[in-house]
Amino acid sequence: MTTAPEPDDVPEAAARRFAGGAFTSGLTVPDFAACLQMGLEPVGFVQGFCVMQWQWYGMGSPYGTFGVPFQGSTSGYSQTWQCPHGFVSAEHRSWGQNYEQSWIEDAWRQGFVSAYDRMIEEATSVGAHGVVGVVDSSDRLSDLGVLEFRVQGTAVRVTDGPPPAGGIPWTTYLAGQRLAKSIEAGLAPVSIAATVSSVRVWAYCITEYLTEGSAGGWGYQSAAAEIEQMSEAHMAVRRIARQQVRTQLEGDSLRGASMITTERELGHGDAEVQCILRGNRVRRFKAFDPLPPPQPTVRLL
Amino acid sequence: MSADGLGAGADPVDIRQEMLDAAGYLSRPAASDAPPAQRRAGRTSDLSIDEEFALHAIGWEPVQLVCGASLYSVPMGVWNWGQGEITSASEAYARAFAGASDRLHQECTTMGGRGVVGAHVEVEVHRHHVDVTIVGTAVRPVGSRGLSADPVFVSDLSGRDFALLHQAGWTPLGLAAGASFVYAPRRSAGVAMKQKNQNVELTNFTEAMYSARESAMERMQSAALAMDGTGVVQVHVEEGPMAFASHAVSFTAFGTVVRLVDRHTRLTPRMILPLDDPTPAFDATSLRGG
Amino acid sequence: MSDVPQDLPKEAGHRLEELEAGLFTSDLSVNEFLLIKEVGFHPVGFVMGSSIYHTGIQTRKWGQSQELEKLTGAMYEARELAMTRMEEEAAELGADGVVGVRLDVNYYEWGKDAAEFIAVGTAVKAESGVSHLNKLGKPFTSDLSGQDFWTLMQTGYIPQGLVMGTCVYHIAHRGLGQTLGSAGQNVELPNFTQALYEARELAMTRMQDEATRLDASGIVGVRLEEKSHQWGSHTIEFLSLGTAVGKTSDTVTLPRPTTIISLDN
Repeated sequence: MTTAPEPDDVPEAAARRFAGGAFTSGLTVPDFAACLQMGLEPVGFVQGFCVMQWQWYGMGSPYGTFGVPFQGSTSGYSQTWQCPHGFVSAEHRSWGQNYEQSWIEDAWRQGFVSAYDRMIEEATSVGAHGVVGVVDSSDRLSDLGVLEFRVQGTAVRVTDGPPPAGGIPWTTYLAGQRLAKSIEAGLAPVSIAATVSSVRVWAYCITEYLTEGSAGGWGYQSAAAEIEQMSEAHMAVRRIARQQVRTQLEGDSLRGASMITTERELGHGDAEVQCILRGNRVRRFKAFDPLPPPQPTVRLL
Repeated sequence: MSADGLGAGADPVDIRQEMLDAAGYLSRPAASDAPPAQRRAGRTSDLSIDEEFALHAIGWEPVQLVCGASLYSVPMGVWNWGQGEITSASEAYARAFAGASDRLHQECTTMGGRGVVGAHVEVEVHRHHVDVTIVGTAVRPVGSRGLSADPVFVSDLSGRDFALLHQAGWTPLGLAAGASFVYAPRRSAGVAMKQKNQNVELTNFTEAMYSARESAMERMQSAALAMDGTGVVQVHVEEGPMAFASHAVSFTAFGTVVRLVDRHTRLTPRMILPLDDPTPAFDATSLRGG
Repeated sequence: MSDVPQDLPKEAGHRLEELEAGLFTSDLSVNEFLLIKEVGFHPVGFVMGSSIYHTGIQTRKWGQSQELEKLTGAMYEARELAMTRMEEEAAELGADGVVGVRLDVNYYEWGKDAAEFIAVGTAVKAESGVSHLNKLGKPFTSDLSGQDFWTLMQTGYIPQGLVMGTCVYHIAHRGLGQTLGSAGQNVELPNFTQALYEARELAMTRMQDEATRLDASGIVGVRLEEKSHQWGSHTIEFLSLGTAVGKTSDTVTLPRPTTIISLDN
């Protein structure tokens, strides 16, 4: 996570908050108890924000009288389909394309990394070794056309322990017992990892007919048929997200991941599919000794 | 049954020392002392840490996140009034499910996994298309590489359920699904209602709904037999009218096909009595169901 | 009781054949599946029974609270029919019983006065080959989960059958004079009290009668449900459901449970 612009200084209010004696934390009581058991001392609640302008990015429709195939972003995923019919009319979508909207992915990454780096800066300013129980979100602020990125967590210090190399605190979504079990399994937290992938579907005639059920007389199907362009888009968006994360991992592992995919239908078979993949980047620090198989039990209550 | 960590002979873990070890490891300037094989690992998994523990106890580990997706169109006009089964919708469902399952299967094989565990199956039936997406984690026995004689399996069992079944001597094979969509017999309903003053069974209806339900289950069974399975567990059965066409009813069922490898091994669970909360006060509303 | 159809719909035949050939299906979770195996039973197949009944009534403002006997009869028959068909499927598979029975009611927009009653469950068979059919010579039914079934078997009891009693009661509309008389006060409404008391008693008594017919020692897991279905708020069906149990022929010693205190959230 080193490509973000320089974050501003820690806000004055945060500095005042940290200077006080008592700490705030986002930990629940069981998580707090587990942290103390592990020798993790909560230091303070840290957060980072970034508000990005979020209009609809992208090119105008390539259809219409002057439509030409979209050429940009050749490094990303792109796939085209040609219409099988010989006849062409002004409204007939004679070709279609799926492509990766890398500008959206870059903008999301920028917003997320900025927020994350600001949280790290707050944590560093209090001498934290790590941040646990991280929560991140990207919310639209009403209809203002802006997206707010938030990353928050509880900064902790390892009692009698050394700070991490380079002084940058490690971070993890886990807290409490789940973190303890991860440590016990031999996995040390490095950082949270999050990425977004976005694929735009410009439907060609077949996709339009199949998705809308229009019986245009061209490609009317009387039986179920695969909507190949959409299936490819769904496979691609998830594949891209996983590839991006693997680049970020640099050989470490991603555990406890969550992959959430959303689709927005734009009419006439067009769609936008987006996938957010989050997880904990961890590194093995000792060989894992498996527990003996646990004893199955039946509870009487 | 739950799997509490009451295994005999487990050493108590000093978690404070473990955390110090981890901190010490992270404080070293470069993790270049990590063995090269592990650095290249770059694994991804959506299993929880508890599931990983359960897998490790039987000697398996996660490999990669895998997924499969397939969308099939439903021809226009099929949801209008008609008789009997809406075959193109049933076919769309079956093909989309099989397509997604196959792609998941392929990804697992490519990643070198022996099977997929914890698959989340999402099915959406829209007016004009059926979407099926399945996401899970490919797993394999620790340290195994390359292909094995056994076919790759797919299951929606959690890591813990997979470990329990494995200990009992069963192995999952794949996901089997069956669906059938029918028209509710509406016109005859009006006639039937007028004629019947008494409260009696409406046999026409019963027949129609029955046959739809049976078809869905039978299709799932055929899929299971085709995989040479012994049985299907954890079947999710859903039925109800379509959101966009209330006169059409869907019956869907899917589950994980399993096979007994050799013979069933009993797990002999221990009965436990947790002394946690005080006994709740008698609550009359608890006698009412739901 | 109306005529029970002798044959199941023919579509059921093919599915059941496949199950008889050895494939089993079940909606039991893995936990329940393993626990059933622990007590020596094996799942045979997912069994279902359903019937669609006309359940309309003419609502009138009767002055008396009373049971609507014809409707009671219909609700009972509808569920009985669904259960019987499910039991027939289980018997066809050679099963000893059905566990995890769920009784559901579906209403469909297209049938305003009709409701579909469904009974589903997993048929199981004892691996020892010893027959566990109940006193009526039919497979036992129970709505116990896999865990409860295991626990019950540890105590030396076995389910005999899912027993139910139902009563459709109409609560009298209160006259205008009565309503005005008690307005603004917190008083008992004797009509209502009496009506609800009687209705519940009728439902539970009928349930107990069924248990007696099965020669059961007792009933466990009793649930009382109240539903208005599509009749408006003055007509309520009281349904009492439970699992009748009896002692098995084997003598079983109850294992001592381990007491624990869990440190979970």
